[in-house]
Amino acid sequence: MRKLCLATIVLATACGGAAVPQETLTAAKAAVAGAEVAGAASEPKAALHLKLAKEQLAKAEKLIADGDNEEAAREVDRAQADADLAFSLAKESGAKKEAADTQEQLDRLRHRSK
Amino acid sequence: MNRFKIGWLLAIQALVGCSTPLPPQELLQARSAYNAASKSAAVQLAPAQLDTAKQSLEKAEASFKEDGDDQSTKDLAYIAGVRAQVAVAEAGREQAARNKAKIDHDFRNSQLDALDSSKSQLEQEKAARASAEKARLAAEASLKELANVKEESRGVVITLSGSVLFATGKSMLLPIAQNKLAEVAKALSDQGYKSLLVEGHTDSQGSVDKNMALSQERAQSVRSYLVSQGIPSDKIRAEGIGSSRPVADNSTAEGRANNRRVEIVVEPNRK
Repeated sequence: MRKLCLATIVLATACGGAAVPQETLTAAKAAVAGAEVAGAASEPKAALHLKLAKEQLAKAEKLIADGDNEEAAREVDRAQADADLAFSLAKESGAKKEAADTQEQLDRLRHRSK
Repeated sequence: MNRFKIGWLLAIQALVGCSTPLPPQELLQARSAYNAASKSAAVQLAPAQLDTAKQSLEKAEASFKEDGDDQSTKDLAYIAGVRAQVAVAEAGREQAARNKAKIDHDFRNSQLDALDSSKSQLEQEKAARASAEKARLAAEASLKELANVKEESRGVVITLSGSVLFATGKSMLLPIAQNKLAEVAKALSDQGYKSLLVEGHTDSQGSVDKNMALSQERAQSVRSYLVSQGIPSDKIRAEGIGSSRPVADNSTAEGRANNRRVEIVVEPNRK
């Protein structure tokens, strides 16, 4: 097992490139999933960045398969940023909607007690 | 012509000279995005995200200085631009959350206000009922001082002794009776009632017809006086009963005195 690990590392470094950006790739995938859960797909601007993040992730995985880990790492970083933005935009939109809903309830209450 | 040549020279120098390559589009965009974010509410509402964006931009600037406009600079600049947008979005989210918290607060206060006002309305109604009841009891008490008051199924019955009201055989009110009836009228006006019935009663001495006529005249004269004291005329009737409903023994002087009377029946509001 250890030998195999060593072999992989040697192989990876032997190609002259960097290691597979596994950690950041996993994080970026999680960020995309998080943005989806936050409702990014249903908010146009968030949906755009969610789409970009997914595209960049796909591109990164292709680059990893081709052995170009260095460029893959940069795609992963871009994907992470876009996923984060998609998440923030979705949350922002949700918070604005909640505030508007509460305002509406308040207006109704005030109207009724007049 | 000269100026045109210089322009070209500069452009060529910029392209060839490795000292100052033109910043890539991504970096220009990142700079302006960060610039906008750093002047927005993100400064107060999303300082951490704004700082991340700043560091991200510094990385891109360093890469540009080091490696020029190669792909890694473009990627870093792209990321910096996105990070600046994240800061703005987070500020928007924070602002919305604060707005909501304030609205929630107002909502609770409005609910409490509504509760308070319905409570105080309830208390006011309660107090009004209590004071009406008090007035009614006071009116009843003053009536009891003036005359004999009892509750019967037909209503509250106020009995006034005939000897107080009239001279023997007459139907004209005595002056002292007028004072007394004025107070009765005042006490009655403080009480809620549907209508009043004034009944004249006599003892059994003398003829039935005469007693009937006398009791009717007496009841009528009490009614007239009460109307003159403000009791609405459509709410008060007078009736002569004669000697047919004695309340005491007609064979004794005391009994006969008790039978000579005027009764005012206060017919209650039916609910």
